[in-house]
Amino acid sequence: MIYRIRHVTHYEYVSPVSLCYNRAHLLPRNTPRQQCLSTQIRITPTPVYSVRREDFYSNLYYYFSIQEAHKSLQIDVTSQIKTLQPQMNFDLDLGNSCARALELTRMAVDEETLLAREFCLDSPMIRASEQVREYAAPLFTPDRPLLSAVRELTSRIFQDFKYDPGFSTVATPLNEVLEHKRGVCQDFAHLAIACLRSLGYAARYVSGYLETLPPPGQEKLVGSDASHAWFAVYSPGEGWFEFDPTNDNIPSEQHITTAMGRDYGDVTPLRGVIFDGGGSQKLEVSVDVAAMPES
Amino acid sequence: MAIQETTPLPQSGLNYARPDTFYDEVFGPDGEIREHWRYLLEGLGGMGDAGLQERQRKAERILRDDGATYNISSDTENNRTWGLDPVPLLIGSEEWSRIETGLIERAELFDLVLKDLYGPRELIRQRILPPELVYSHHGFLRPCQDLRLPGDKQLIFHAVDMVRGADGKMVVIGDRTQAPSGAGYALENRTVMSRVLPSLFRDSQVHRLSLYFQALRRKMASLSPNGDSPRVVILTPGAYSETYFEHTYLANYLGYSLVQGGDLTVRNGYVWMKSLDGLHRVDIIMRRVDDTWCDPVELRADSHLGVPGLLEVARAGNVVITNPLGTGVLENPALHKFMPKVAEFFLGHELQLPSTQTWWAGEPDDLRYMLDNLDKLIIKPTARRSGDHSIYGASLSKEKLDELKARINSNPMHFIAQKANLPGSSPSWQNGKLQARSTVLRSFAVADQSAYSIMPGGLTRVASSDEQWIVSNQLGATSKDTWVLASEPQRQVSYIEERSATFTEDQTSDLPSRVVENLFWLGRYSERAEAGMRLLRTVLIQLNSLSYLPTTVHDLMLKAVTQVTTTYPGFTQNNANLLAQPEKELMSVILDRRRPGSVTANLHAMLNCSEETKEMLSADSHRVINDLRDELAQLPQLLSSGLSIAPEEALDPLVTSLLAFSGLTQESMIRGFGWRFLELGRRLERTLQSTALLRAMLVPVLEDSEQEQVMETVLLTSEVLITYRRRYRIRPQLDHGLTLIMLDKTNPRSLHYQVDLLRQHIEQLQSRDNSPILSEEHRAILEALTLVQLSRPAELAVGAEDSGVREALDKRLARIQTLLSNVATAISDRYFDHRSGPQQLVQTGWSEEP
Repeated sequence: MIYRIRHVTHYEYVSPVSLCYNRAHLLPRNTPRQQCLSTQIRITPTPVYSVRREDFYSNLYYYFSIQEAHKSLQIDVTSQIKTLQPQMNFDLDLGNSCARALELTRMAVDEETLLAREFCLDSPMIRASEQVREYAAPLFTPDRPLLSAVRELTSRIFQDFKYDPGFSTVATPLNEVLEHKRGVCQDFAHLAIACLRSLGYAARYVSGYLETLPPPGQEKLVGSDASHAWFAVYSPGEGWFEFDPTNDNIPSEQHITTAMGRDYGDVTPLRGVIFDGGGSQKLEVSVDVAAMPES
Repeated sequence: MAIQETTPLPQSGLNYARPDTFYDEVFGPDGEIREHWRYLLEGLGGMGDAGLQERQRKAERILRDDGATYNISSDTENNRTWGLDPVPLLIGSEEWSRIETGLIERAELFDLVLKDLYGPRELIRQRILPPELVYSHHGFLRPCQDLRLPGDKQLIFHAVDMVRGADGKMVVIGDRTQAPSGAGYALENRTVMSRVLPSLFRDSQVHRLSLYFQALRRKMASLSPNGDSPRVVILTPGAYSETYFEHTYLANYLGYSLVQGGDLTVRNGYVWMKSLDGLHRVDIIMRRVDDTWCDPVELRADSHLGVPGLLEVARAGNVVITNPLGTGVLENPALHKFMPKVAEFFLGHELQLPSTQTWWAGEPDDLRYMLDNLDKLIIKPTARRSGDHSIYGASLSKEKLDELKARINSNPMHFIAQKANLPGSSPSWQNGKLQARSTVLRSFAVADQSAYSIMPGGLTRVASSDEQWIVSNQLGATSKDTWVLASEPQRQVSYIEERSATFTEDQTSDLPSRVVENLFWLGRYSERAEAGMRLLRTVLIQLNSLSYLPTTVHDLMLKAVTQVTTTYPGFTQNNANLLAQPEKELMSVILDRRRPGSVTANLHAMLNCSEETKEMLSADSHRVINDLRDELAQLPQLLSSGLSIAPEEALDPLVTSLLAFSGLTQESMIRGFGWRFLELGRRLERTLQSTALLRAMLVPVLEDSEQEQVMETVLLTSEVLITYRRRYRIRPQLDHGLTLIMLDKTNPRSLHYQVDLLRQHIEQLQSRDNSPILSEEHRAILEALTLVQLSRPAELAVGAEDSGVREALDKRLARIQTLLSNVATAISDRYFDHRSGPQQLVQTGWSEEP
């Protein structure tokens, strides 16, 4: 599929901001199952300094600073992405068993596994805990294929937790999510990652978009899409496999990746520092994911 | 340490027992004094105990006068004078050359490790380092990937802590790679030692330290990303930093500007220093701020010590930061365990200067060993954070040990252990005798062309008791100069002499506006404190005076105290009890530090400003500031018996010190921007204080005899009573008094004199501005001056009968006060930085560190 994605972030400040420095993870990257055909980024007011760079995890980011006083900031990104179905239509019941996966992770006979071990460690927003471990451990019996266990974990989270955009901010600690059994896609991805890491597996965070289809017979509303997040798990010798606990499925052509990292903190869409002004800022985000006719 | 039988030192008046430490610097294994110590010990012996004690006292005095402190807490009151032991550590030239080779090799290896970890990470790919060791360390900063400085070497500064190993050779117990401290203290130690032991120092043929600093300057100049004669600044976390003294000392010695994060700003992809005449590009930042605090945009978002946007400027290659950001990853002591493998990988041979044996709990076998042997080991966290220091297992109780085990178990990757070798000992002069003390040497390397230059010697630290196993400044260790003895005399080279003469006429651009602002406030607070004390002194004398003091005068004076010091409501609330029993309130106006306007509060504010401007003040000024701090500390005690016995005398030394300080700045400060703003602050405050005093005391109309008494108080407070008597030879009258205090151009405390000085300063500041339209502050000062000049004392002295106040006088003085406040505001708006601090665009509320 080819998608045209427009992601507009708009800040309104109560009093003018005199200076700002930002790092935006809004430019989709290439992955084995997607190719970024083009991206344009338009920022108002015009930044005096801006640069497109690749980060530690080979994600693209856009660094910019604005030096004129402004009461609103708009970042408008339009990208065209070609996505593929997952390369192999993998069979969840084949491949490494849980025990084998753990052993191979520890031994790390190949370079990819060795480097994947970074994603077994705690990260700034995700700490393994006994609580999380207890939640997931029963699914990961030694002889069970790892991916089948992860698929069930994805379903469990989908069933046990309520999707509730009102409850969570970007900064909800995991234990609260666990306690109230609700959250948004970031939280569910974080939770699944914490489960996997607490058991010794490598898991990472994926940010991106999901094409949503309107109910039959209705027009799709402009701007109704949202940015999305899910996770990937590493099975030694076999690679990374993605799962979406918010929708209880395996990411496919409709999932478009922006960036990957240890957690949300590595790929925050917009992070930065402002001087003066600000006050109670108003943030509006609109996202459109439109399928393009293949030419 | 048990003391064995005392071995008398050669021809000596000193006793130093050969300690039962496994290694002592003085004694060889055979119990004989090592050859290179003989000369020094004979010399010290010749002085005897008393002589050495005297040298130590002298050293202490010099250090104190130089303002050499090590701040243990963030409270500037508790700054401890840097401790220096008058007995240096001696290292023979042969041994030193072995150590030096080892240090150079080690620095080169660390440079390779740094480049690899932020580059290809072959060390991980080739299984030399476990991935967790790097990826779990807080010092590994992913945004610093592929950051490169000009030139081959990426690690510019490297400091190493060494102790004697089991075989008597030096082993490394720690590396400092972010912003190593100590080189400046080492230099200060040397300066002091060469003064307190001049002839011993001269004749011992000690290697000079200045070559190291020359190499440092050379390196800085070569790193410039933006062409010749780069602007180099030293970035300090501020006056509350532990090693702030060193920052000011090095800034002065090297001729670099000392800046704080807020003095710098990122614009158009470059870093700039904010100074009075605008922004000046900064090319090289020698940082003393730890990695993660340097840029809230990409590193710790909650940091206020850094410069927003700094990392991106470094990434773009428009500024050079030394050491580069991210170098904290090399401070992970778990690396010690892997250094032999790393050396083998990069160099193909073992390190000449090995690390002490180290276990890393991130490896299961090591974890097990650590948990089983905790009481024999020294435990360290892999990342240094304030408050965290090494723990000696044997010193812990059973419960504490279990607690520590639990901490290690819950996060094994973050702990290492080292063998608890007692460091070797050296003789240290403590409590009036030579005692064997654990000794740690910190050495300093700086990248220099294609290799590294090592400071000959370094900073030696010794424990302050024989029970201290871990030598740390935080734990009260003291320091030693380190003498590397040359086989032949050393040529005297000082960096200053070698420096090509680049004379900058205008200092302005080298001063961050924060420093200027602090000088301005230094002037204001010192005048404010002085004015308050002058008035209080006079009032206290009058209150205790034997002669009759009418209630009206009594109350008026007390109210004036409140009005002039602005410690409202105080005596102005017309509380009869308070006026009748003023002692408690007066004490509070003097002593209550938390009360804005009190003498103590003003003096503290002044001392804080002096800390912020430390590098601008002369050695003599530091001495006076030190006295002031001591006198202020003694004040509560001096006043402990209340206000009945000559309380004004308690204030005298403080007034004298303030005058001495004022005289010093007047006599020895370069007439640059710094001085001008200090003066502006002074003049402005003095005028404001005088007008407040005149309004409080002279506006109410009293009957003649009382009026005379009040006038006399004003004249006394204003230091012109004697002049008045000499000139007028009559009892104090209002119109004559006003003439002397307001108009007399020959009286340096008169309004006319002060306001006219202010006018001159403002005109000087704006002399480069060619606009024919006068600035706000210029207009205000001209009006104030005219109002003073146009005053007719006889008219102002007239009081209205119905209101009981002198309306004309009050109106005139009020207008002058308003104008001067406008001047202050206009100056502050024009020259100082008022941008409010940075905020995060998105508050995540997550900490970067677990």
